[in-house]
Amino acid sequence: MTSAVHLRNASAGEVAAILREPSPPAEVLDARLRAALSTRLRAILPRRGGPRHRIDGYVVEKGALSFTGPFLWNARAARRVLGTPAARAVASGVAGDPLTAAASEVDRLATRSVRPGARPGGLALWLASAPEVVRSLCALEAAGWATSLLGCVETSSPLGSVAVGIPDAWFEVPGAPVTLHGRRDAAVGAPSGADCRLSLLRLRDGLPGPRAVEGLALDGLVDALSAPERPLPARVVGVWPDAGVTLVVAFDGDVARAAAREVLVAAERLARPLQTLDSVPEAA
Amino acid sequence: MTATHRTARATRKIEKTTANADASTDATYATVTAGLHTHLVALLQTPLPTSEGDLLGALRGTPALRPAVDRGIASGLRAWLEDGVFAALGAPSAGSVRLSTSSIAGSAPRGGATALLRGSLVAQLVRLHVAGVEPSDPFDDAACALEASGRDDDLVTMLCDLDPDDHARLHAEVLAHASVLAERFPRVSPRWMPRCGVRQAIPLAGGGVQLRGIVDVALGASGGERANVCLIEVTTSVLEARHERVLAYLALLETLRTGETPLRVAAMSTADGAFVVHDVTPTLLAAAVGDVLQAVSECGGR
Repeated sequence: MTSAVHLRNASAGEVAAILREPSPPAEVLDARLRAALSTRLRAILPRRGGPRHRIDGYVVEKGALSFTGPFLWNARAARRVLGTPAARAVASGVAGDPLTAAASEVDRLATRSVRPGARPGGLALWLASAPEVVRSLCALEAAGWATSLLGCVETSSPLGSVAVGIPDAWFEVPGAPVTLHGRRDAAVGAPSGADCRLSLLRLRDGLPGPRAVEGLALDGLVDALSAPERPLPARVVGVWPDAGVTLVVAFDGDVARAAAREVLVAAERLARPLQTLDSVPEAA
Repeated sequence: MTATHRTARATRKIEKTTANADASTDATYATVTAGLHTHLVALLQTPLPTSEGDLLGALRGTPALRPAVDRGIASGLRAWLEDGVFAALGAPSAGSVRLSTSSIAGSAPRGGATALLRGSLVAQLVRLHVAGVEPSDPFDDAACALEASGRDDDLVTMLCDLDPDDHARLHAEVLAHASVLAERFPRVSPRWMPRCGVRQAIPLAGGGVQLRGIVDVALGASGGERANVCLIEVTTSVLEARHERVLAYLALLETLRTGETPLRVAAMSTADGAFVVHDVTPTLLAAAVGDVLQAVSECGGR
């Protein structure tokens, strides 16, 4: 079982200091683990023309439950997509406040949708077709997300900057209809540097669940799988601002192996007949 | 039946209900139509002393006079709560007690689906107002925002299924609240970092007790040397004593959540535009701890 340090009411400066803490010597992901994980996933979820699965922290934490209805964009679903660039704009000084930055991001996406090649079903097209009221609501929700992100970590200090709004990590398992998705909202360290271990931060809603640590470990594993040439991330920090709780998972080879086992468990659940949120009792 | 007869009959019914009202309550509730035709409405209200002037001006006060942030009080309040929970419940299993604003401060008399929808639609209008939107048709815009929010699908279905009479009544009510909101809630500058629907979820006793709240509007950012976070509760009902307890509870959760005491809390009614503003003091937070422990001990007594 992966363990974590549990902090309460950690200030933005304290979270930034945790991200910047010196890490033990660099270690890269064991190539055998990567190969074994891919082989096992191909065996559990063979490519037979069925749907493509995505395994992320939510799937690991919630036991591979899925939603019955088709995905539809709404202000809640769009807030992280819009709020992350808004936070980045504020942290870099491009925008003065999250609400203005989020409104600019909404306008930018809506304008981009009229260009050829806009992705069907994408957020840009949905925003472009939505009334002004809905676009404003999306900007407000995104501003709330951005404010939370900027409030939970100090983005600049003489000790170095924290990169806010870096892209998520993805790993498509070769030969299997599975994509692993690792979320990350901020990081310390150069994502492309070969000699620097990243410290990752993830912003979460509500209260940490009983398997929150496993979800954070998965984020670290996917980061390692997506850039095999880079050392393992040093730590993954989860911040739950609603509860004032911060969990710090020190990431190493053992944690990566534990996270890989969780991925396999989730894949086995996904291979079973469809389990839905509606069909599971409240206790789940 | 003439209008005079109807009025006389309604008045008799009101007098009868008032005579039977519980003296300990702040308001007297009665029906003014045939039995079960409408829900209870507040007739006599002990008004809460309300603040004068501009809501945001009262919240902001004089920036130079704001108190320094007290970062030590949160741990003391938490220890007090943890001791009280242990005394009342021992070690409850994870998630066994969930307390919300209504568990702590009580809730208004149930007004059925229309009242629920009215509250949700006005909440959407508050969000649009904070986002800087001037609704051309408040009801349609609020309904559109409710549908796009992704949080209240059941309410959207309820709104679609509303019969024409209830729909018309709701439409008129929402327009009335929208006009009060536009008149009494000043524009919020984006530089004040406005957030709407801020959720608070504080675990106690290892997660055995969860304290939950939702702040309608939060202004200001934490982390500075001086307290500058303000919380606003917007209600469609007339302000009552229970709103004071709601404000204290939300201030307590914010203190436990961020480790810093907020500057001020306010409640505003879109029924009449009245508002109250309170400084967040140790006394106010202590009162909230008392309310929480009272609710916890009631849970233990069941």
